[in-house]
Amino acid sequence: MEEERLQQERLEQGGEVFRALADPTRRALLDSLFGHDGQTLNELCEGFPEMTRFGVMKHLSVLAEADLVVAVRQGRTKRHYLNPVPIEQVANRWISKYAARFTSALVALDDHVVAGQETEESRRAELG
Amino acid sequence: MSLTAHVYQIYIAATPEQVWSAITESEWTKRYFHATSYVEPPQQGRRYLTVVADGRPAVDGVIEEMQPPAEERAGRFVQTWHTRYDPELEQEPASRVEWTVENAGDGLTRVRLVHGNLEQSPLTWENVKNGWVWVLNSMKTLLETGHPLPRVRDDQTVIEAANA
Repeated sequence: MEEERLQQERLEQGGEVFRALADPTRRALLDSLFGHDGQTLNELCEGFPEMTRFGVMKHLSVLAEADLVVAVRQGRTKRHYLNPVPIEQVANRWISKYAARFTSALVALDDHVVAGQETEESRRAELG
Repeated sequence: MSLTAHVYQIYIAATPEQVWSAITESEWTKRYFHATSYVEPPQQGRRYLTVVADGRPAVDGVIEEMQPPAEERAGRFVQTWHTRYDPELEQEPASRVEWTVENAGDGLTRVRLVHGNLEQSPLTWENVKNGWVWVLNSMKTLLETGHPLPRVRDDQTVIEAANA
């Protein structure tokens, strides 16, 4: 039972993250926090003059649901921080294993090209 | 870039008590935290020192707060953080690491880690940034599966894992 539940969780892991990242405004909010972590709602709103305060709040709450943004209360101010943990988990689970194939294929291709050039060069040197 | 706190949050399928042990007891830390352990069990208000496997110092400081999780109450473990594992980082003043361990329902525990007071410690700020993600993931993996993350995860291991 426990094993099944964990298995299910593993499969669903990342769903909320991908949904949260699907929206360009939310990605822009994350970029804003990446550039300057720990912003208040007011500070974040300044970077998005075309959006209402309510709009920014709504997007922030989706990011918080996905655990991508963590709000920390410090006295009377609430600051928003980028949480890198879920992105790393998604990258490990869904990206690196697929990307690694391309990376290794490219490394092999690169070796091949370099080797080819060397043979070409040595051949030319011999001819010269 | 201004040096504000680093904040991390992770959900672990374990009880708050298990997570608390993993944070505060050497038998656990040495399995997921770069093989570091507390020289003496940490106590509130006392200094602490952690060492790496061969006994060289890793981190020292003061345990400012140590309140285990209880029914309806989050656990809090607050330690000042003075790096000893690197001579350059060692020159920087102590920063502060705050762990909050909270029941998130359904056998799930939420761990929040805030590494702050880093304004005077730009090298430490940069150094711990990605390190904590690995440590937290390693702790989660250990508590959920009984095995920590492999010690070294460079591109080669990723490639090998993908091709396996």
